Amino acid sequence: MEQFIADLKNGMFIQQLINGFTLGGLYALIAIGYTMVYGIIELINFAHGEIYMFGAFFTFVLIKNFNLSLAAAALISILSCILLGIIIDYVAYRPLRHSPRLTVLISAIGVSLFLQNLALIIWGGRIVHFPEESLPSFFSGSAINIMEINISWLQVLIIIITLAIMLALNLLVTKTRLGKAMRAVAQDKTTASLMGINPDRIINFTFAIGSALGGLSGIMVGLYYNAIFPTMGYMVGIKAFSAAVLGGIGSLPGAMLGGILLGVAEVLGAGYISSSYRNGIAYAIMILIIIFRPSGLLGKKIIKKV
Amino acid sequence: MMLYLKQFTDKYNKLLFLLLFVFILAIPFLPGINDYLMHILILIILYIILALGLNIVTGFTGLLNLGYVGFYGIGAYTSGLLTSKFAMLDSWHSLFGNFMVVLIIAVINGALWGIILGAPTLKLTGDYFAIVTFGFSELVILIITNEIWLTNGPMGIPGILPPAIGAYVFIGKKPFYYTILFLLFAVFHLVYYLQKSHIGRAWFAIREDEIAAESMGINIIKYKIYAFALSAAIGAMAGAFFARWMMFIEPKMFQFWESIIILCMIVMGGMGSIKGTIIGAIILTSMGEILREILIQTGLPIESRHLIYGIIMVLIMRFRPEGLWPAGRTKGELKPETAHILEYEEESYFEKREK
Repeated sequence: MEQFIADLKNGMFIQQLINGFTLGGLYALIAIGYTMVYGIIELINFAHGEIYMFGAFFTFVLIKNFNLSLAAAALISILSCILLGIIIDYVAYRPLRHSPRLTVLISAIGVSLFLQNLALIIWGGRIVHFPEESLPSFFSGSAINIMEINISWLQVLIIIITLAIMLALNLLVTKTRLGKAMRAVAQDKTTASLMGINPDRIINFTFAIGSALGGLSGIMVGLYYNAIFPTMGYMVGIKAFSAAVLGGIGSLPGAMLGGILLGVAEVLGAGYISSSYRNGIAYAIMILIIIFRPSGLLGKKIIKKV
Repeated sequence: MMLYLKQFTDKYNKLLFLLLFVFILAIPFLPGINDYLMHILILIILYIILALGLNIVTGFTGLLNLGYVGFYGIGAYTSGLLTSKFAMLDSWHSLFGNFMVVLIIAVINGALWGIILGAPTLKLTGDYFAIVTFGFSELVILIITNEIWLTNGPMGIPGILPPAIGAYVFIGKKPFYYTILFLLFAVFHLVYYLQKSHIGRAWFAIREDEIAAESMGINIIKYKIYAFALSAAIGAMAGAFFARWMMFIEPKMFQFWESIIILCMIVMGGMGSIKGTIIGAIILTSMGEILREILIQTGLPIESRHLIYGIIMVLIMRFRPEGLWPAGRTKGELKPETAHILEYEEESYFEKREK
């Protein structure tokens, strides 16, 4: 408590808040992938966390082994992530479209297990770092430095990219024809296909967007912590899913709100409650939300139909 | 040919079972059985018990439990902590040095946590339930890792006393083999008869259609809690044995992927099928051990054998969701095209009975 008051006075608290906001923005980007796929085919895409991990690794390999610039590497790895997402859907989910939900969920867990261990075999279990010289030097330089508060350019960049993507995505879903088609497929696939929408194409598109955002956030997290390892996806994946549930699964603004709340809660909880329970905070929030308010903060109530 | 074989096995069913039973009892005395093979045998039986326990919730009742290893860990730490804190060396005769006492406490503790987690969450369906159980097991691991004053954290609990009967202390593999065989025997019979009882039928009804089951007057929550508590208790029992057998436990042994491996066993064998669960556990445990040897030699990380489990899960769900040795009932449910086979089977079953 004393620590908390001291931090309030010298601005450390605001620093923590901004750190939490950065982390939360990243969670939100991943949560969007979960929430969009869940909204359309009612599946917890367990492999999403793995796509995020592969995004970071692809970039790492392109920079390290192919000497590409960061921007080019990022672009190529995002495209590869999109491809990966669509392949996963094609191999493991599409044949099971009309099976019980449990079946698809088990398949999703299988894919996640496969990809994570594939990464383990290819890149080994050790943490890898981006080579120093490949990162633009201004990333670590501080953009804002008042009192104790220190915000790096990378943080600013992450926050700006995150906000821009969220805004663009919201416009896409609410204003364009494609977004309308997505909402229609989410509501009722059969009726949507009667209206001339190809649900499979829309589902593909959803996976593509989700995977691109997953890959992008993987790259940004890799840059932010400068640490990439095969199990990074599974932990963050579950946290991002918690964020999606917190905001109300199937809702885009919900995923953004949930992600940011979760990020802030995690950073503040680690700072003022217990740093060893850092991951526990996300799980506890998720369990409590699912038990007491399964529809989330912004979600609609789901009625079970006979 | 197959038909004759089937007639033969039907006719001498009891005899064959007896022979199998005698064989299993005699395994430790067969030539060529060394300590390493005994170790693997015990491990296989341990996983059969775990898989049978998970099968109650996931197979019979149709709730995907991704946090089963949480209960396994709770059982192991209950048994390990009670033994290492309260039963000092050379005091097998003290209360907590007694394996049965510790086992029973662990089972009760496991069931209790099953009810604590189950009561508020069992009203959830499908994926939400799965994800809550996952969160639960992750919290269990976090607490075990971080409450160092109690659990010694990541260092684990070393030097847990092995069980003893009177003056005979369990050393070597044989006594453990027979102990776990006895536990398997008990669990198998429990599960087998429960499946045939009104409780088992209620579980199946819930799995097949929850709302229909409820309108037939089945108290869904009650039966789900039965299933969850029993399954948790079996997991905890296996954990209690594990701690006293290994004489060392650490948080790393109870990671999330362990749950998925057990899930993979019942998925491969056939969810809800006791026979399939047992065969699945035998195959995957032995395969895991073989892969461990191969991976050590090739220098790859041992965890990378989980890759195979992932492939198995995807392939089984894609091509044979009812599993390789399914129970007749689940076949129709998971694979709508084969529903007519189920009808036919049930018809012939009734005809046979009337004669």
